[in-house]
Amino acid sequence: MPHSFSLPPLDIVEHTLANGLRVVLNHDGAAPVVSVAVYYNVGSRNEREDRTGFAHLFEHMMFQGSENVPKAGHFQFIMKAGGTMNGTTSSERTNYYETLPADQLPLALWLESDRMRSLAVTQENLDNQRDAVKEEKRLRYDNQPYGQIFDLINEMIYKNFANSHSTIGSMDHLDAASVEDCQEFFRIYYAPNNAVIVLSGSFDADEALKLVETYFGDIPSQPLPPELDVTEPTEVASTYREWQDPLAPFPAFLIGWKIPPRRTPEFYALYLAGKILYEGDSCRLYQKLVKGDESVIQLFGFTDERRGPSSIFVGAIPKPGEDLSKIRETIMNEIHDLATHGPSPAEMEKIENQFVNDSVRQRQSSMARAQAIAEYALYDGDPKLINTELERILAVTADDIRMAVAHYLNTENRALLDVVPAGQG
Amino acid sequence: MTPELRKNPPAPLAPIAFDIAQPSQDVLENGLRVVVFENERLPLVNFRLAFFAGDIHDPAEHHGLTSAMATQLTEGTQAYTSLQLAEKVERLGASISAHASYDFTTVSASSLSLYASEMIDLLAEVVLRPTFPEEELDLYRRNTVESLKFQRSQPPFLAAEQAARHIYGTHPYARVSPTAAEIEKLTREDLVRHHRRTLIPNNAILIVVGDIKRDELLSQLNDKLEGWEQGSLPSNEFDTPPTRYGRTLTIVDRAGSAQSNIVIANAGIKRLDPDFFPVLVMNQVLGAGASSRVFMNIREDKGYTYGAYTRVDSKRLAGDFEATAEVRNEVTGASLKEFFYELERIRNERATDEEIADAKSFLTGVFPIRAETQEGLTNLLVNQQLYDLPEDYLQQYRANVNAVTAEQIQEAAQKHVQPDNAAIVIVGDAGEITEQVKDYADTVEVFDTEGRQKPER
Repeated sequence: MPHSFSLPPLDIVEHTLANGLRVVLNHDGAAPVVSVAVYYNVGSRNEREDRTGFAHLFEHMMFQGSENVPKAGHFQFIMKAGGTMNGTTSSERTNYYETLPADQLPLALWLESDRMRSLAVTQENLDNQRDAVKEEKRLRYDNQPYGQIFDLINEMIYKNFANSHSTIGSMDHLDAASVEDCQEFFRIYYAPNNAVIVLSGSFDADEALKLVETYFGDIPSQPLPPELDVTEPTEVASTYREWQDPLAPFPAFLIGWKIPPRRTPEFYALYLAGKILYEGDSCRLYQKLVKGDESVIQLFGFTDERRGPSSIFVGAIPKPGEDLSKIRETIMNEIHDLATHGPSPAEMEKIENQFVNDSVRQRQSSMARAQAIAEYALYDGDPKLINTELERILAVTADDIRMAVAHYLNTENRALLDVVPAGQG
Repeated sequence: MTPELRKNPPAPLAPIAFDIAQPSQDVLENGLRVVVFENERLPLVNFRLAFFAGDIHDPAEHHGLTSAMATQLTEGTQAYTSLQLAEKVERLGASISAHASYDFTTVSASSLSLYASEMIDLLAEVVLRPTFPEEELDLYRRNTVESLKFQRSQPPFLAAEQAARHIYGTHPYARVSPTAAEIEKLTREDLVRHHRRTLIPNNAILIVVGDIKRDELLSQLNDKLEGWEQGSLPSNEFDTPPTRYGRTLTIVDRAGSAQSNIVIANAGIKRLDPDFFPVLVMNQVLGAGASSRVFMNIREDKGYTYGAYTRVDSKRLAGDFEATAEVRNEVTGASLKEFFYELERIRNERATDEEIADAKSFLTGVFPIRAETQEGLTNLLVNQQLYDLPEDYLQQYRANVNAVTAEQIQEAAQKHVQPDNAAIVIVGDAGEITEQVKDYADTVEVFDTEGRQKPER
C-alpha cells in the first residue's frame, strides 16, 4: 500500500559559489549518463509591459553563440558528443538542459558557462531569432485550431500584468526591441546569482564540483533583478468571452479558476481534485461526459503551477449539436458533489497510488530528476524537497480536497471562454 | 580558468563502459515467446504484449477493424465492465492500454512492481476474454467518426494522407486512417471474429522489463494463460508499392492557413534492409537533427521555419523517406528550392569526414540515454524483437553505426533519396502559394481538406 511505501532518498549535495551560483549535485550511477540543468530565475512574469515575449526570445538567443562557441554551435557540440538538449520558457523561469554520455560533463559545463559569461547579443542574431520566434508563433498558436485559448483565458483569470500576458508575447514588442534592450536583459537576468545549476547522473562529486567551480567561478555576479509583484486579488469574478477561431472545426469551451500558489496545501488538494475530475478513463468527468452522456469528443484539464497565484482548467470539445451549457452544468454538478461529499475512499486510494507510481517513474531519468530538483532549488531554495514533498502530498486527506474544491472551484468566480468556429469552410 | 583555456571545447573524462545484458528468452507451450529483462533498480515493471498483426492485416472489406478491436479490448471483459476495469487499473496507479499500428497490435501495461501479479491477471483478462459490448462499440463508432472529422483540421494529418497515397499506392501502408463509412459498418461480430483470429499466442511476443523474477513470471503465465490456443498465422501478401517516375506536386488547399506544411517524400527502405545503417547515418548528416544540414540551412541560415527535418520511416515490409517543414506562406517556394538543393547535394557530394564523425558520435552517444529508463529499454527490446533483428542487435548497434563508410553514405543517398521522383505535398492556402511552387514538379494536383481532388482551373 502506498502509505507504507518508502523510496530511498536521492543523494543531494548543495554548494554555492562565491559569485552566488547555486550548485546541486545528484549522483546516481545507474547509467553512464549525466544531465545538466541550468535554471534562470526569469520568465514572462518578469517582462515589462512594452517588451513581452522577451524571456522566450532570449531562450532562442542563448543558442546563437558566445565568445568561444560559434552561432548554433551549442546544438552541434552537444549532438556530436551524443547528447540531447533543449531550452524552454514559462511564466516562472527559463531553463536549459542537456543529457550527455557521462564522460562529456566538461563539455556541458564549458558550453553553459560560456553563454552565461559572454552571450553574443548582436543585431544579426536578434533579427534572425525574431523571425524564428514569429515562425514558432504561427506554428504553435496561430495555425492550430484552439491554439490561442490558453493565452486568452490567462488574460481573463489574472488581473496582474505579470501573470496575465502570454509567454510567446507580442510580435510588435519583439520588433521594437533593440540590441541594447537585449544586452540589458541579459546582464540583469542571466547572472550567476540569478541561476541554479543541477547535475544528475554518473560522476564523482568532488571532481564535478571542481569542474563547476573552474568553469563558472569567475563569472561576475550582478545586482539583483528588480523586485517582482505577482499578487492578485483572490477572486477571478465571473468573466466570459467568446472567441472566433478561424481554424476550429467544432465549438469548444474552457473554464479556468484562480487558485493558491504551488506547494500550498490548497494547491496540492486541488491538484489531486483535478486527477479525480479529469484524469484517466475512470475519472468522473470522462465517465459522465464521454461515456455516460456521450456528449463530448475530447475532455481535458490541468493545473498551471506557479510560485504566485496559479490556476486550474477544465475544457471540452463537445460533439456537434450538443448543448454546451448542459455540459458545463454537468461539470459544475460534479464539482458541487466533490465539494459536498468529498472523494470516495476508492478515489483516494487511486490518486495516492497514481502519485507514487508517477514519482517512482520520474526518478528513472537523470533529466527528469535534474529538472525537478532545479525547480525546488530555484523556487524554494531547497533541492532536498524532492525527498520529502511526496509525503506532504500523500498526507492530503479527502476532507482537505473537499474543502479546497468547495472554496475555490464550487463558485461563480471563474473564467469561461467559448470557442466559436469561424472558418470559411 | 584563463581565457586561453576557454577557447576550445574540453576533452572528455575517462569513458564509462556501457553494456545491455541479454534478456532471457522462453517459449510457452502455446507458442508465446516471452522475453524477460530483470532490472531491480526501482520497484517498477513494464509489460508489452505484441502481436504480428496490425492495420495492414485488416480484411479488405473491413478497414479499421484491427484498430477498433485493439481499442475495445479494454472496454469490457467477462469479469469487468469498461468502468470497472478502468477503476481497477487506476486504483493500482497502473496503466493498461492497447492499440494497433500498421504492423502490430500491442497491449501495454505498467505498474509498481508490487502490483505485478494483479497486472498479469488484467493483461490475461483483456487479451483472452474481451466481450466487445455493443454499447461500447457504438460509442467507439460515433467518437471515431467525429475524430476523423477533427483530423481534417490538422495539417500534418492532411499531408500524411496525401504522401502515403503517392508512396504506397495500393499497398495498405497507403491508408493512414479508415473512412467514416468504414467505421460505421463495423459490427460486434466482426470484432469477435477478428479477435479470435489475430490475437493468437503463436503470433505474439511478451516483453517484460523490471523488478520481476523470470521463473515466477513464467509460472504465473502458464497458470493465467491456460486455455489460450494457437491459431493460423495471417498472410503477409500485399501489393507492391509503385515505382515512381517524375516529380508530382499535390496541394491540399487549406484556405486561411497561416503556414505551409511541406512534405517531400519518396520510397525508402524496410526495417531489415541491409542499407539500414548507411541510411541512418546519411539521414543524420542530412536532416535528422538540429545540427543536420537541412535545419542549419532552412532554419538557422534562412529563418524560414521553426524546424526543418528529414525522416526515415522503416516499417516491416516497406518504408519511406520524407523531408518536412512548416514555413510561412511567402517563402514556400524558396523553401522547396533549399530542400532540393540539400537533397541533391547529399547525393552528388561525399559528406565530409567531420560530418560523418559527428553523425556517428551522436547516434552512438544517445544510445545509452535511450536505455536509461525502463520504458526506453522496453522500447529498444520491443524493436529488436518485433522487427526480427539479430539477437545481439542492441549490443552491436554502436559498432554497426561506426562501421558505415563515406562511400556507403553516398550510395545510400543515391538509392534512397530521390528528388527527381519525389512526391511534394503542401498543405496551405493554394491562392497564396501555387504560383511559387508549381514549377517544382512535372504535374500539379489540388485537393480540398476533405481529401477530394479539385477540378483544374
